Amino acid sequence: MTTNSPGLATAGPSLSKQDAPAPAVAAPGRRRRRIRTTVEAYLLIAPSLAGFLLFLVLPIIGVFVLSLFSWDLVSTPEFVGLANYRRLAGDGAAWTAVGNTVYYVALNIPAQTVLALALALALNRKMRGVKVFRVLFVLPWMAMPVALGIIWTWAFDPRHGAVNHLLSLVGIVGPNWLTSTTWAMPVIASVNVWQYTGYTMLFLLAGLQAIPEQIYEAAAVDGVNAVQRFFKITLPLLRPSMFFVLITNVIGSFQLFDTVFVMTQGGPGTSTTTLNYYIYQQAFQLFHAGYAATLAIVLFVMILLVTAGQFLYFRKRTVYDFS
Amino acid sequence: MSSTAVRRTLLYLALLAGALVSVAPYLMTLNASFKTTQGMFSTQAWTPAHPATFSNFSSLWSKYDMSGFMVHTLIVSVAITIGQVVFCSLSAYAFARMEFPGRDLLFWGFVATMMVPQIVTLVPLFFIMSKLELADTYRALILPYVFGTPYGIFLVRQYFRTIPPDLEAAARIDGAGTWTILWRIILPLSRPILATLATVTFVNSWNNLLWPLMITSSERTTVITVGISALQGQFASQFNIVLTAAAVALVPLIAVFLLFQRHIVRSIALTGLK
Repeated sequence: MTTNSPGLATAGPSLSKQDAPAPAVAAPGRRRRRIRTTVEAYLLIAPSLAGFLLFLVLPIIGVFVLSLFSWDLVSTPEFVGLANYRRLAGDGAAWTAVGNTVYYVALNIPAQTVLALALALALNRKMRGVKVFRVLFVLPWMAMPVALGIIWTWAFDPRHGAVNHLLSLVGIVGPNWLTSTTWAMPVIASVNVWQYTGYTMLFLLAGLQAIPEQIYEAAAVDGVNAVQRFFKITLPLLRPSMFFVLITNVIGSFQLFDTVFVMTQGGPGTSTTTLNYYIYQQAFQLFHAGYAATLAIVLFVMILLVTAGQFLYFRKRTVYDFS
Repeated sequence: MSSTAVRRTLLYLALLAGALVSVAPYLMTLNASFKTTQGMFSTQAWTPAHPATFSNFSSLWSKYDMSGFMVHTLIVSVAITIGQVVFCSLSAYAFARMEFPGRDLLFWGFVATMMVPQIVTLVPLFFIMSKLELADTYRALILPYVFGTPYGIFLVRQYFRTIPPDLEAAARIDGAGTWTILWRIILPLSRPILATLATVTFVNSWNNLLWPLMITSSERTTVITVGISALQGQFASQFNIVLTAAAVALVPLIAVFLLFQRHIVRSIALTGLK
């Protein structure tokens, strides 16, 4: 491709030079150029497009087809019509998993967003060491969730963990975190808050830095106090960043799997069985892959609805320029 | 002390406490990997490992093919990272700068699939890979991610759009073609975003658990996430062993991150929301 592109390249400008004085031949020349650009563009996107169709679009169609089949991962799938959907209606465990997923999102997202916003506000100023702090706060983001699960299992261990030891120093007897149906999910949520707060902060910080200084100066002249400044200026102008951060974090949170897999295996009982984990269990431990496909559609629909809801909420209140 | 100085000091203290919470788990894990089983249970997490021992590493390596896990993961991650950077750049350029029928439809089609949860595609993908007789191969681990993800294309396209078009127009007048422009002008100017994409991709591939867990079954394709989570099940109470494994898994990530952190922090500020 490298060798023949100079040839292509010289063709372009020379054509346009010829066309310029004679409008009669301009149309076919421009059309040829347009066709060439189209061919070139499709060559450039061809690999990604092939991967997209084969490994994303085809499986998305496949999940709907598979949800009409009974399949044990090995033998030939057997058509069962809507049996998987009827089963879903009566499957209490599936709806528990849906509830657990929503509970996790409700614990995780507000905590993470508020903390990230506070951090971004704290770091959005000129002072020594700001850059070092930024890097330190982003460091947890790239940790392997599997390794994190191990580390936090240790930290929350009732007898040998750092958390209960620290609590004992102030006279509190810490619970047996991960075997408690009350505490297991908040612990898992806190692990993920720990991991993603810094990363979220980076996006919010970028949003804060995009707010023009003059607006604050003008507000100061008008005698606006700090609270008003935050709620009437900063927060509204931060909406595009908030929108982006919430959309992506909510989509991510609905898919919680790794930390559950390592820390609790969905337990105690089913208290940390998220929908994603339940789908995995159905497909790869119980070999109900057709039913797992049906459950995956449920997760898909949940994410679609919540994302659409956020779009509608933010659209009324903000102009978000994607392009 | 004036009140601003007091406030500044308090802010620093709060930030320091936050930074400590961010970093402490890494340091304590590294520390724990040098502790003996006895030291593990008789000392606190922050007590320095004394006497330090390498026995955790040697027993981990003697029982498990840790080097194998790391090599397998490295092969998969590097292959995916190279593919992502190349193919995302190519399609991002077409989407950012070229006029062609179907462009917006295709681009928004790509972006819309970011909403699709991974598991939706993975169950059918398992079926496809089994039919192609690729189950339990490196190809099955690499193929779904190597051609570029919607996220990567979106990220790079947003960055390309911040490059002034005049530069390209000038090059076109001088007779440069699309390929030359991409290679000589756009890519050299895009190093920060490409470094970011490479880091994010490497980190995600290195950390990926769900798909390898589904599609691989034999020792020769076991990646580090799958290997370590199996180990966790087996040695759940021997914290010094499993924490050593966690430390080993985290070291390459920290190295890659510290190498590219400048680019990442800046790229997010630049392209997160443009």
